[in-house]
Amino acid sequence: MCPLFSPPLFMQRYQFVVDFVQKYEPKKVLDLGCAECRLLEKLKYHGNGVELLVGVDKDSSAMRTRMYSFAPLSSDYLQPRTGPLAIELYEGSVTQPDPSTCGFDLVTCIELIEHLHLEEVEMFSEVLFGFMAPSAVIVSTPNADYNPLLPGLVGFRHPDHKFEWSREQFQLWALRQCEVFGYTVNFTGVGALAEPHTDVGFCSQIAVFNQDPSPQDSAVQYRSREEPTVYRLLYSVVYPSLSDNNILQKTLVNEVLCRAELVKQSWLSGKWVAKTAPEPYMTGSSVCVSLLDVWSCPRVRSLCGTLRRFTEALVGESRVVLTPGREAVIIPVDDEEEEEEEEDEDGQGTETRWTASVTTEDWDVEIPHNLDSNLHGAKHG
Amino acid sequence: MYRTRHWHRRQNDEEVHVFRCAQQLLDRTENMDPNKPPFFGTPGAVHKPEEALIGRGRSLLLPPGDASFGRGRGFELMASAPGGQFGRGLIYPGSEPSTGLARGLPLPSDDGGMGRARGLFLQAVQPSVGLGRAALLHVEPSVMPTPLAQPAKPDSPQGMPSLQAEEEEMAKKSQEEVAVTTPGSSLVSMFRGMGIESSRTTWGRGIMPGVSRGARGEPVTPQVGVSSAIGSEGDGPVKEEMGRGSSWLGQGLVGAGRATVPTMGIGRGPTSSSMLPPGPAAISAGLSPPLTGSPPKEPPMHPEGSPPKAPLQMEASREPLQKAGTKGNPVRVGSNYIAIGCKNDAVYQYHVTFTPNVESMGMRFGMMKDHRSITGDVIAFDGSILYLPVRLNEVVQLKSERKTDGQEIDIKIQMTKIIPPSSDLCLPFYNVVLRRVMKILGLKLVGRNHFDPTCAVILGKHRLQVWPGYATCFKRTDGGLYLSVDVTHKVLRNDSVLDVMHAIHQQSRESFQEVCTKELIGSIVITRYNNRTYRIDDIEWSKSPRDTFTLEDGTQTTFLDYYSKNYGITIKEQDQPLLMHRPKERAKPRGKVITGEILLLPELAFMTGIPDKMRKDFHVMKDLTQHINVGGEQHTQSLKQLLIKMNTIPEAQTELGRWGLEITTDILMTQARTLPQETICLQRASFQPAPDASWSREVTREASISCVPLNCWAIFYPRRAADQVEELVSTFGKVAAPMGLRLNRPTRVELRDDRTETYIKSIHSQLTSDPNLQLVICIITGNKDDLYNAIKKLCCVQSPVPSQAINARTISQPQKLRSVAQKILLQMNCKLGGELWSVNIPLKQLMVIGVDVHHDTSKKCRSVMGFVASLNSTLTRWYSRVFFQMPNEEIIVGFRACLLGALQKYHELNRSFPEKIVIYRDGVSEGQLKTVEHYEIPQILKCFETYQNYEPKLVFIVVQKRVSTTMYSFSGDRIGAPPPGTVLDHTVTSRDLMDFYLMAHSIRQGCGLPTHYISLYNTANLTPDHLQRLTFKMCHLYWNWPGTIRVPAPCKYAHKLAFLTGQSLHSEPAINLADKLFFL
Repeated sequence: MCPLFSPPLFMQRYQFVVDFVQKYEPKKVLDLGCAECRLLEKLKYHGNGVELLVGVDKDSSAMRTRMYSFAPLSSDYLQPRTGPLAIELYEGSVTQPDPSTCGFDLVTCIELIEHLHLEEVEMFSEVLFGFMAPSAVIVSTPNADYNPLLPGLVGFRHPDHKFEWSREQFQLWALRQCEVFGYTVNFTGVGALAEPHTDVGFCSQIAVFNQDPSPQDSAVQYRSREEPTVYRLLYSVVYPSLSDNNILQKTLVNEVLCRAELVKQSWLSGKWVAKTAPEPYMTGSSVCVSLLDVWSCPRVRSLCGTLRRFTEALVGESRVVLTPGREAVIIPVDDEEEEEEEEDEDGQGTETRWTASVTTEDWDVEIPHNLDSNLHGAKHG
Repeated sequence: MYRTRHWHRRQNDEEVHVFRCAQQLLDRTENMDPNKPPFFGTPGAVHKPEEALIGRGRSLLLPPGDASFGRGRGFELMASAPGGQFGRGLIYPGSEPSTGLARGLPLPSDDGGMGRARGLFLQAVQPSVGLGRAALLHVEPSVMPTPLAQPAKPDSPQGMPSLQAEEEEMAKKSQEEVAVTTPGSSLVSMFRGMGIESSRTTWGRGIMPGVSRGARGEPVTPQVGVSSAIGSEGDGPVKEEMGRGSSWLGQGLVGAGRATVPTMGIGRGPTSSSMLPPGPAAISAGLSPPLTGSPPKEPPMHPEGSPPKAPLQMEASREPLQKAGTKGNPVRVGSNYIAIGCKNDAVYQYHVTFTPNVESMGMRFGMMKDHRSITGDVIAFDGSILYLPVRLNEVVQLKSERKTDGQEIDIKIQMTKIIPPSSDLCLPFYNVVLRRVMKILGLKLVGRNHFDPTCAVILGKHRLQVWPGYATCFKRTDGGLYLSVDVTHKVLRNDSVLDVMHAIHQQSRESFQEVCTKELIGSIVITRYNNRTYRIDDIEWSKSPRDTFTLEDGTQTTFLDYYSKNYGITIKEQDQPLLMHRPKERAKPRGKVITGEILLLPELAFMTGIPDKMRKDFHVMKDLTQHINVGGEQHTQSLKQLLIKMNTIPEAQTELGRWGLEITTDILMTQARTLPQETICLQRASFQPAPDASWSREVTREASISCVPLNCWAIFYPRRAADQVEELVSTFGKVAAPMGLRLNRPTRVELRDDRTETYIKSIHSQLTSDPNLQLVICIITGNKDDLYNAIKKLCCVQSPVPSQAINARTISQPQKLRSVAQKILLQMNCKLGGELWSVNIPLKQLMVIGVDVHHDTSKKCRSVMGFVASLNSTLTRWYSRVFFQMPNEEIIVGFRACLLGALQKYHELNRSFPEKIVIYRDGVSEGQLKTVEHYEIPQILKCFETYQNYEPKLVFIVVQKRVSTTMYSFSGDRIGAPPPGTVLDHTVTSRDLMDFYLMAHSIRQGCGLPTHYISLYNTANLTPDHLQRLTFKMCHLYWNWPGTIRVPAPCKYAHKLAFLTGQSLHSEPAINLADKLFFL
């Protein structure tokens, strides 16, 4: 619609949210009116510390086509992320309260309210600030003041828009919400004119609300999430992450075994260099690699943080065999020739069925000669 | 090198296929469907007699008056008649008489797989029709092209393409000419004369005008969308049911405007069919109606009661090929095919035209999407062909607005076909549905298959993960529509390419780049950010993530910025080289050719597959095969799990239900046959092999057919292997006699060290000093590829002598030495030209040829084709050759030399040429089948012309090892693999090929994986029984393995030879070794 802006205006709006998220690091983010989930997708990539991303839209068709793209990629399993991440998509109306929307750090309503009728906006404000009561809210909506600058625009910017507010109307609405529900608001926007010859503000006006600190604030924060009652869960996915102890343990074991194997090999081939860790030694047909040597691997370090946690994690781990003194990993030396698949045939197996003569067939006489010679050949295809 | 172990590896870990997005696949396949009407496929469909809009179809090759003419199937006939076809048609707008005549004239092409089409506007007299002239008229030169041929709107300009002003004169002339022919009467009489009921005349092809570009003011010639382009394989009239060729929309395909009429087609014409996957061919063949069939009954077409002018009807299917044999014992088997139920009665195919034309596919999709209320939510659309599970009116006119310029676009949706829901035409979009279902089930797409990372087996020691998964696709086989599910595994690594590079750097700092290149090139990586797989074709050492590249919109960005902006990824190492992937050049549907290189960051790419180094590591492989090589029990179990999931997860059900697909929960159970057992003949004794089809005991106790006395041979070994060598030689002495082998003591050459030069020098000097040396044996310690290669190069190329390399490890265990020594002796005997065993071959004057290709994974070297041909009646003497093949070079050049060499040699030995030649051709990909059939085989036949009056019968069988078909057998409640010799030649076989599945080998571990055999050519008239049994017999004759193997022995020999040449020799082996199996 607006080739005037580069990057396109919608991208600028998303970028605004992404910047906000990167700056204030909310853990739980809810996007109302998420449509094709483009913002959620951006936040999936760019929202560093976000642990829960939820999208809500009344019309589920767009979500349905997009939702499977939120599934973790193969690489997410190969290198699990450090922090947790879950994504949920709901079908539901923003004018209806649903318990699953409570307790968020940030709720975004990007170009949403202008699609609601004015009476719905009232209900929505009530639900958003009164019921969901998130710590922060970002609301963006078209700025009607800017419309005259949009070439060829007649009426609203989109046929589905029920209204387009001027800056004054928007600010009036916003300030009333602050008053009623205890928020403070800052106004900004994206899509400003390069040369501000007239003061029309931004093309998209944005209000950023912050909840006033209150005693019950912390209680809300740590309340566990509730099941939806009105909304319908369409899709939910939990990303594999190191915050899952099973995954952490698996990854750790993986790294430990790999590191120990490397140390073993370098020691056996005489390339092991003494650093801080004690030298590996043989017991029976196994090599014992000092835990300190394993610990010196940066990957292992980053997984456990402290040496104590590292040793604790390995104790009782069946996949890693430790020495009785728990100071080394035992890695068997396996240069033994493996058992051949073929069993020794001598003396066992069935008796050979020797035959005296070979039954002689003659296919030449069986061949149908008079047929078209291409019968089986080129005919089919 | 002597290796007792045979890895029957599955291919899963080697998938090299680059991910293609579903839509592309859909587009491509659809576009290539030759049977699709080039424009308005069943042209009569919209015509109403009162408008005198008549289309006629005619096939040039058919005799006039051919019954097929009058039937309402003109189009299909044309599509299937090769060599040359006509599509002619006339359009008579109601008010203004005008005539258009067009021809689609595919040229009979001899280039194997190129279909060409031309749309011609003729101005010639058509005597047989009695029409005066065909003329192409413009309606009004300046008129805005409107959707043409709109019977519903008689007042709109009729469906004639408009010519531009400069053609006006021409047009006027035509008008005059047309005026002479009184349209109505001449047509009627014409049809009468042909004995065609008038109600049927609407069938066939007419000229249907297409969309004009003139509308957009381009100075191009007016678009006359005639192009009745009909694909033709062009390979001869016998193939009456082939209508191959493909078509694509518009741009650039020119119906060569002969005479004066500037024509241009928006139309579809065939494109190169050599690129076609076999699918489309199958589609066309499968749908062509039988020539002699009675006219199918025509259901009423117009629900609303308008006169059924041109009833569309369900496509009929074709007679199946006679490919079933009878010999052998019936055995009940299961297979990994699941029957699919189709709830819908039919799928409806429509053609969609946008007027004015809309070039952008995205925009076309968008516009179709806007009309969901008409089409419904379930659509498969490729930009011009639309499939719906619902029936619309025959012509639906819609309007959309082009968002970019506000232009109103008329969209015409015209029904072109009604196809059975199990038709091949549906497969592409069914498979898209299937992919979606797999995604819904939570499986991850890696390459082309789906895997379940939550069930991953982690092999920490090697930083490997094995993901179980499935290769699924819908297939239409002789038995109908099936879901084929194969259980596969993907080996992925926790290492990024950068990690691997670091590891290499630590180990070999000085030859870092060289080692990287060696290890990385050819491997498949999966990207961290978008889950795509790429093959590494090169490493750009001079580039780094700080370099820039150009985005689609033309802006420049660095890799660092790009990944940070788009994926929020911060590149940790700024000094890494970049990996390069060169996509295969292939035309996208819209004629866009993808070229250029794709650069990837090592840090963001994970390694997949088993690295070569690990592949050689016995222990890793053992760990891996344990997980990968699952038995029948586990196989069926995983299969059932998938089916249960598909049938219980509601979203999956919904998705399938959109096209009315129902997946049953049971795998296919059917009857196969176990072929009669073969008798193995040694020199004096014959025997029937044990049920597991192996006879290692017998061949070591009885004399082989012929043995070459080993009088003069030498053994080279490093000092530390001296004792082992002594043991080996004495064991040789003990075990040789029972096998009929006589051998003297060898010359023993002890080497100072085990350096390659030491070996080579010693062997060389020995060969020079003793020219009678029959055989060289080298004892090698450890896995030393370079040494092995050097020895082989010396002994196979430079100073040809049979050679045997023995890994010291294989002779290190005293308790096994005896059996090892026996096997080595057998192998040595083969290399010297001895013969081990045979089976009865009941065909006289027969030559069997095996061909296989070895491709170098790094693509650095040329491909090598191995060629092995039998020289005697018992098939115990073999002649072998190789030839190198440049990329994209036809194999036939070298093949000819090999074949003639083999025939010459055969003649030398037998004083005659073979009467029958059976070629087993391995190394043919699915997409190459047609090339082989239409190009390679005729060329082979041509080779025979070298000799006067020599016309041997030829059987050409393609051997496919890598097939997803699995067979299970059931004994009691245990699921296992069927016995060796089990053949399955129905139900799961291809509808369009003479094929069968044969499992010749005995399964020790894993699943029953049969080999697929396709008889492409058979002038020897071997019956299905003969083909199957001969193939089974051939699987007994691989002398390196006392048992049956999974491919015919000549293929295996050819494989061995090609492998040795490609891996070690890199040049042609000496010709005087050609009659010995020196490559074993």
